[in-house]
Amino acid sequence: MAEPIRTRALRFVAGREVYFDTEGFFWDPDDWSDRAAEELARESGIERLDAVQWRVLRFLRAYYLDQGRAPLNRDLKAGTELSLVELERLFPQGIRLGARRLAGLPNPKTCLD
Amino acid sequence: MTDRLIYLDNAATTFPKPPEVLREMVETYARIGASPGRGNHDLAAQAGAFVDGARARVARFFGAPDPTRVIFAANASDALNTVIQGLVRPGDHVVATRLDHNSVLRPLHHLAERGTITFDLAPFDERGFVDPDAIAALLRPNTRAVVMCHASNVLGTLQPVAEIARRCAERGVPLVVDAAQSAGQVPIDMAALGIAALAFTGHKALYGPSGIGGLVLMPGLEVETTRFGGTGMDSASLVHSQAYPLRLEVGTLNLMGVIGLALGIDFVAGLGLATLHDQEMGLLARLRDGLAAIPAVTLYCANDLAGHLPVLTANVAGVHPQDVGAILDGDFGIAVRVGVHCAPLVHRDLGTIERGAVRFSLGAFNTTDDIDRAIEAMRAIPHPGRP
Repeated sequence: MAEPIRTRALRFVAGREVYFDTEGFFWDPDDWSDRAAEELARESGIERLDAVQWRVLRFLRAYYLDQGRAPLNRDLKAGTELSLVELERLFPQGIRLGARRLAGLPNPKTCLD
Repeated sequence: MTDRLIYLDNAATTFPKPPEVLREMVETYARIGASPGRGNHDLAAQAGAFVDGARARVARFFGAPDPTRVIFAANASDALNTVIQGLVRPGDHVVATRLDHNSVLRPLHHLAERGTITFDLAPFDERGFVDPDAIAALLRPNTRAVVMCHASNVLGTLQPVAEIARRCAERGVPLVVDAAQSAGQVPIDMAALGIAALAFTGHKALYGPSGIGGLVLMPGLEVETTRFGGTGMDSASLVHSQAYPLRLEVGTLNLMGVIGLALGIDFVAGLGLATLHDQEMGLLARLRDGLAAIPAVTLYCANDLAGHLPVLTANVAGVHPQDVGAILDGDFGIAVRVGVHCAPLVHRDLGTIERGAVRFSLGAFNTTDDIDRAIEAMRAIPHPGRP
């Protein structure tokens, strides 16, 4: 019953080496870039991020950089002008592993478990 | 979306609290909020008398004969630390279960890592229950205690503690019960059940505030002091007071919490535990039936709700449980608990350790409408295979 340890792996993404955690979240949110988001999106089945998807990612990043945390559910709705059901549909991997991960926000696992 | 919150996270903490509990708690604290038992002024004596009365109230509520063996703590985890660390000696063995919360598992893990104890964990069956025989099979000559939850905080299954206590008694092993989920949900008579020590919290089904809980000890079980400090007694001595309850309490009590706890017990006792439990289990059955009819939903250990608390854990195929929780909250105003619920081994055995699950837990203020809205919300969650 050893304590699970959050591990990271080095990958080559968008022309540079970047650390990701075991769920594919950026280890360091500062490593995020538009190119990296596009590349990760393709891996998740989105051939090209569309304008609405980009609007969601831009909102998430701006909120995180301004507030130091992910938006509350109600702020996410208000900021993206989408319901969470619509957000879930917008990204093949959903809100957490889709939108949030592609926006380069930290893995919320530690605060939600 | 409804304009009011549908709160289905009562296993984490009950919400809202009964207004009369909050009001009277504040009024009483405003009236007698001195340091209980400290000093010789009347207000301190009044506060001390209230605390003594609350100890008696707790002892009666849990079928324990000695109010001085009611030790107040911050919560069930705090109480479990007090009893576990105060019971074990180097070389001891402890039995717990794979249903247990980290409030049991982590103290045991910590003590085992330090080489103080060893411990074994009894499994649970496909219905979510621990077999008393499995506990008995793990007992050794050096087993110091069996420490286990009365009810799983993930599955809601009430464990057969009377039978387990009987097996323990045959081997002279005390049974320590974590009643965090069950206290206030079902009657607990420690004497009748054979429970040697009971840890409880005030902020769940006892409808008190957070920050108050306790440990109740039956006569004959001695727990060593593991924290030391002021007690308001024997102050000239550097030795911590050894009489119960001060033996296991340190520093000024959370008087506001004690008041709220006593009022919360009055609240549930006034409504009747059986009445509340039946009402909530009726709603849980409605929720279970509604969710079971949704093909994408998986329920865990919920085919038969006999012997359950009003707790139901589910997943939606192909949707991360944290997304389910976010959608329920953001789009439907429904608060649930997602993750692994501080009970990692339950989720490991259910096969849900990687992502966790969604837990619905009911309380005294939930209605049929809450349940129907929760079912509809779960039906609306998009999942692979559904547009």
